[in-house]
Amino acid sequence: MNGVSTVLSAERVCKAFGATQALDGVSFELKKGSVHALLGGNGSGKSTLIKLIAGVEPADRGEIEIRGKRHDLRSMTPALARESGLHFVHQQRSTFPELTVAENLAIGRGFDTGFGARIEWRQARRRAAAVLERFQIDAHPDQVLEELGPATQTMVAIARALQDQDADAEGVLVLDEPTASLPAPEVTLLLDAIRRYADAGQSIVYVTHRLEEVFAVADRATLLRDGTVVDTVEPSSLDQEALVELMMGRTVAQIERLRGRPQGRPILAARRLSVGPLAALDLEICEGEIVGVGGLIGSGRSTLLKALFGVRPLESGEVCIDGEQRRIDSPPAAMAAGFAYVPEDRQKDAAFAELSVGENLSLTVVPDYWHRGVLNRRRERRDTLGLFDSFLITAESEEAELRSLSGGNQQKVVLARWLRREPRIILLDEPTQGVDVGARAEIYELVHRAVAAGAAALVASSDFEELARLCDRVIVLRKGVLVAELRGEDLDAERIARVANAEVVA
Amino acid sequence: MSRRHRPLRHYLEAYAFLGLLIAATVFFSVWPETSETFTSAANLRSLISSNSVIAIVALAALVPLVCYEFDLSVGAIAGLSSVFVATALAGGTSVPLALGLGVGLGVFVGAVNALLITRVGVNAVIATLGMSIILAGVVNQKTSGLSVTGNIPLSFSEFGSSNWFGIPKIAYVLAVVAIAVYYLLGHTPYGRYLYAFGSNREAARLVGIRTKLTLGLTFVISGALCGAAGVLQVARAGSADPKVGETFTLPALAAAFLSAAAIKPGRYNVAGTLVAIFFLAVLNNGLNLAGSPEYVSNYVNGAALIVGVGLAVRLGRRQEV
Repeated sequence: MNGVSTVLSAERVCKAFGATQALDGVSFELKKGSVHALLGGNGSGKSTLIKLIAGVEPADRGEIEIRGKRHDLRSMTPALARESGLHFVHQQRSTFPELTVAENLAIGRGFDTGFGARIEWRQARRRAAAVLERFQIDAHPDQVLEELGPATQTMVAIARALQDQDADAEGVLVLDEPTASLPAPEVTLLLDAIRRYADAGQSIVYVTHRLEEVFAVADRATLLRDGTVVDTVEPSSLDQEALVELMMGRTVAQIERLRGRPQGRPILAARRLSVGPLAALDLEICEGEIVGVGGLIGSGRSTLLKALFGVRPLESGEVCIDGEQRRIDSPPAAMAAGFAYVPEDRQKDAAFAELSVGENLSLTVVPDYWHRGVLNRRRERRDTLGLFDSFLITAESEEAELRSLSGGNQQKVVLARWLRREPRIILLDEPTQGVDVGARAEIYELVHRAVAAGAAALVASSDFEELARLCDRVIVLRKGVLVAELRGEDLDAERIARVANAEVVA
Repeated sequence: MSRRHRPLRHYLEAYAFLGLLIAATVFFSVWPETSETFTSAANLRSLISSNSVIAIVALAALVPLVCYEFDLSVGAIAGLSSVFVATALAGGTSVPLALGLGVGLGVFVGAVNALLITRVGVNAVIATLGMSIILAGVVNQKTSGLSVTGNIPLSFSEFGSSNWFGIPKIAYVLAVVAIAVYYLLGHTPYGRYLYAFGSNREAARLVGIRTKLTLGLTFVISGALCGAAGVLQVARAGSADPKVGETFTLPALAAAFLSAAAIKPGRYNVAGTLVAIFFLAVLNNGLNLAGSPEYVSNYVNGAALIVGVGLAVRLGRRQEV
């Protein structure tokens, strides 16, 4: 096998949407048996590039060469892409959670039918078992997909895309942000699998905005910014900071962790909270403090925040704010007590996609604009524009639909919606999921600013690096029990991970 | 920030339907087949007053629709109200009392719908469909299938058939109702919550909107408006036909759906509902006067609904890019 042969090369790809040049002369080459990352922030053009290669949208210019065959990207079609050996696994879930693994795999290739169009289940199951073995997936053909971990589900999607490919793996697998909705430990599982497939000779294009993944899995990376190629690098020859600088085009100020900051009076005192997996949890948070909640999926991380916001009713326990006991049985009650809540899943639980940015920002304070029987639109608009400035939101106008914004800006809108209420306690669940590096730093800064003004924050995250960077102290939960509290010198991502995984009891 | 700068396309989308309404009106005014009859004062007045009642029922359906919930009992509530109000009037009840009875019945049925949907958890389509069938039974039991005529006070039926400044009085009632619903949806916190609820239910709950109360109230408001529409129907016709309610439901719902294709594209809205009602009314009336058979209007109404809503969906999708 020739180690340097090129399987796929895209040349001078251009695409404009209206006045915006989404891609301007982008080229890259994929070597056989390697993982090539397309890395870029929101709006860098990486998703557009994939759409053009997949034939979902026509390019304005550009060619692609796959296994020695040239195609004009202006006339690419999905069928042609498939014929040429391109296999796509997109960001959105394309599997069927209620069906079994065998059914999911069979849907990708069509069912073998016997007499009277009867599906040959035995054969489908046998074939599924073979595929699972070939891709080293730890699952049984009869298992319902949603019983599997999220990383395994993604592996099934990959196996489905690749199952008909010849064993010598001549095709190209394109993964579009496959980890976008996976928690950190699952990401590791998936990256290991991807590395294995590449080592076995599979050529992979890996689209992502997460630097850590590029370092973990990619042989080479093409950096995109504003629709152009900044550079193509070998991650092993760079450190993370240099890569961030290349990607952003500027130095990103690392957020200083303000340890040892003077802290005020206690704001929140929760005693013997029991709900779902949580068993008799005690928690105290002081003014000016950012407290992290670490733990694996199912540790009670998200449940704690939901319980404090009145989304999940407490089974027992009490919550005191500023020394006063409060009954928190609904979101309005929690809001009255001074809580704010940024949920984990923005699209599902926080975004009003087709409402305007202004409306999205106002929803938590609408009654404030209601004066003498009219909504004061002028004041609302002025406040909205003020929030754009103070929360670093970039939008075409306050009337633009929320869905027209990038992920980072949407998240800042959700954050601003809550912080404008000047809450006492800010509950943040995965505050930077699906957000690029630049916006992430800005979100950290916004949280710091709010806390410095006298609030407190409770941050749940599966990204332990994030917890270590952002928080003053981190409590670690395991199966609903607080197993460690890390602060000062003890607080680092590795230690959180170790405690969460119970390898070491701190 | 260039807030007022909008592409031409936006205006085309927003006002295409209104343009069609005007075009249809002009067309039937000059087309030799209909120019004489269509533009006669009597025809225009009857067109306006009969569709004003349907328009109020459509505005009623619009309120829950903003939350993406369907109220299929709108016509049945209007029918129920008209039958009971006509009977009460014929029995000597005073006009204000009868009016209260009609609206009160609507509020009551709307409240039952609301409880079924928000407390018991019955899907709104099922709950209101079941309710409309039950109400048809109530009406039938009450009337034995016969129209309620007889002693309707003259002052009452006169209101339904006379004009102010050449325009039917009923149209003024529609104007008041339309302004009230427009105000409710566009200029109150409650209206904001309704659009938020329609956009993302779970997110609405998580910004502190009391979802059950918000949703339940839409059905009560819808019921009240339908009750009022039933009263107006009695005033207009001078009697109550037990079958009339059923004929309101589909055109009213169709217009409420179509409103997302006009004035504020992608959003169910009051002005769009009125444009849709009167566009369909003018089209049907003109075709009728031209002597086309009745089934043609079915074709036109059905096709307009599918094309209009289809366009609205496409517009929504394109904005997503």
